[in-house]
Amino acid sequence: MDWSQVPTLTWESAKLGILPALFGLIISVPLGIVCVRFRWLYGPVLSVTSVLYALPSLALFIVLIPYTGLTDTTVIIPLTLFSLCVLVPNVVDGLRSVPEPVRQAATAMGFGTMRRLARVELPISVPIVIAGLRVAVVSSISLATLGQLIGVSSLGYLLIDGYQRAFLTEILVGGGLIIALALVCDLILVLVRRLLTPWRPRRRRRELPEVVADPVAALAGGTQ
Amino acid sequence: MITFEGVTKRYPGGTLAVDDLNLEVPDGQTMVLVGPSGCGKTTTLRMINRLIDPSSGRILLDGQDIQQSDPPTLRRGIGYVIQQAGLFPHRTIEDNIGTVPLLIGWKKDKARDRARELMRLVGLDDSLARRYPHQLSGGQQQRVGVARALAADPPVLLMDEPFSAVDPIVRATLQDELLRLQAELHKTVVLVTHDVEEAIKVGDQVAIFRPGGRIAQVDSPERLLTAPADSYVESFLGFDRGIRRLSFLAASGLSLDDTAVISASLPAWEAAEQAQRNGEPWLLVTDADQKPRGWVTGDELRSLPREATAGDAQLSPYGHTFGVGTDSLRAALDATLLSPAGRAVGVDDQGRVVGVTSYERLGAAVEAAGPAADPDAAAGAEPAEPATEASPTGTA
Repeated sequence: MDWSQVPTLTWESAKLGILPALFGLIISVPLGIVCVRFRWLYGPVLSVTSVLYALPSLALFIVLIPYTGLTDTTVIIPLTLFSLCVLVPNVVDGLRSVPEPVRQAATAMGFGTMRRLARVELPISVPIVIAGLRVAVVSSISLATLGQLIGVSSLGYLLIDGYQRAFLTEILVGGGLIIALALVCDLILVLVRRLLTPWRPRRRRRELPEVVADPVAALAGGTQ
Repeated sequence: MITFEGVTKRYPGGTLAVDDLNLEVPDGQTMVLVGPSGCGKTTTLRMINRLIDPSSGRILLDGQDIQQSDPPTLRRGIGYVIQQAGLFPHRTIEDNIGTVPLLIGWKKDKARDRARELMRLVGLDDSLARRYPHQLSGGQQQRVGVARALAADPPVLLMDEPFSAVDPIVRATLQDELLRLQAELHKTVVLVTHDVEEAIKVGDQVAIFRPGGRIAQVDSPERLLTAPADSYVESFLGFDRGIRRLSFLAASGLSLDDTAVISASLPAWEAAEQAQRNGEPWLLVTDADQKPRGWVTGDELRSLPREATAGDAQLSPYGHTFGVGTDSLRAALDATLLSPAGRAVGVDDQGRVVGVTSYERLGAAVEAAGPAADPDAAAGAEPAEPATEASPTGTA
């Protein structure tokens, strides 16, 4: 097998995993805020994101090909839509996790609505939003491999090529790399969360925020 | 000065939370709003910083109708303390305290300096400045809440059941701290509580609400205890009104007996004779610094060998003392009731014995203060500063 393509394929897979989650986040934050502000909207929005998630990805790729061609965009759009199904509820739950006394204190201190959102409510939502982002990134990395079927390259190439050539090593290498990539992305998000939320109580109480010395243990302990 | 003029708040659905409220909170005073739950006291408080807007009527802050001010701007000039402190979990203690200064555009360094100044004021150690709220105890968090409310030095401070989420011992400490702060800062404080003892302890004025959002009586704590307006107020104040009123009479009004006080170095036989001469069953033995050591009976002294001094006798503990210059008649009475000798020890601010009480002397002091039933006579009496209404201190 041709090892020289592995770095490129890994990079493509990472891009197809991370970009949809980021775009999904950009859509979910304002959508979530609106859903918290207007409670009646949340039900319908949830229904729509669930229906979107139920759509087969391959079908969506095919529908999009006439408009966006055989490009990354054709894969990124459906994966972005899928990510909304976890991200919108997490943004909403995150905002709702802000304790009422905290919200009330912020208002009474003289925060206007926007400032309160930016300086109090969103920062406090970060842990829950990042938990959603981890699911979105990992699932996008795995779903993106299907893009290979319409010729959008990723680590999925190794799986399909290996299957067509009945070459087990290539399939195992492809699968292993996909899992490794997902774990690395997940770990990075755990680290980002730790950096952004030094204020969170630790399960094991320590005086000061500690640097993660053992990434594997951190990953194992960081599931939520 | 905060003025409520015919303020009514009716919630959608028709619940009448506050009904035609007229109330004045003078500058530099603590006004406590107290009443059962659902009486509109919290609604009243929240209308002052426009967390709730009234359905009708006007609220004036120093003569300005608050409906005409922009809510966030209005709120930055009014400190607010709530029950669970409501600290921002994602900000350090110093940044929590600096919230309003930063909002009104102070530089970060200046806000942090101010935060540390306030931490000292409310009795928090500097080392906590970089901690996060979850690392503090409930009492410490509440102190941070008070510091945060005071950060931009607002003239008005609103406190919504500020001490009800902490245990009774911490609560008593925080109440004392509030009295100390208020004696120093002279803010216009409006405090909501359902605890009538707290109201009487910390209020310059107390407004008792009845269900349905109407005020039953607004008066000084002493006058409430002396002359409740009606049976509702009377039952709300609870039992022991007469005893609690003694909190407002200074122990300095007591004439104390010093003939029952003897030095530990006095020969026992001489002390025994002195006891007999005065007809005193108990004598208080003091050490060389005039600090109390304990009670001794004439019989005990007589049973000692000839060369013994009073200090050699078996002494009974002297129990609680009370500060003659600082405590109230209530503290003196309480200490007397608890003493094995039926007499309590009055001490000066150095802890030196001034004299001892007796029930006769207590009775005379209460009588001199005027009868409880006559509000005018009671109002004429010199009330003890509420800040000095501490429980008896200085246990043996």
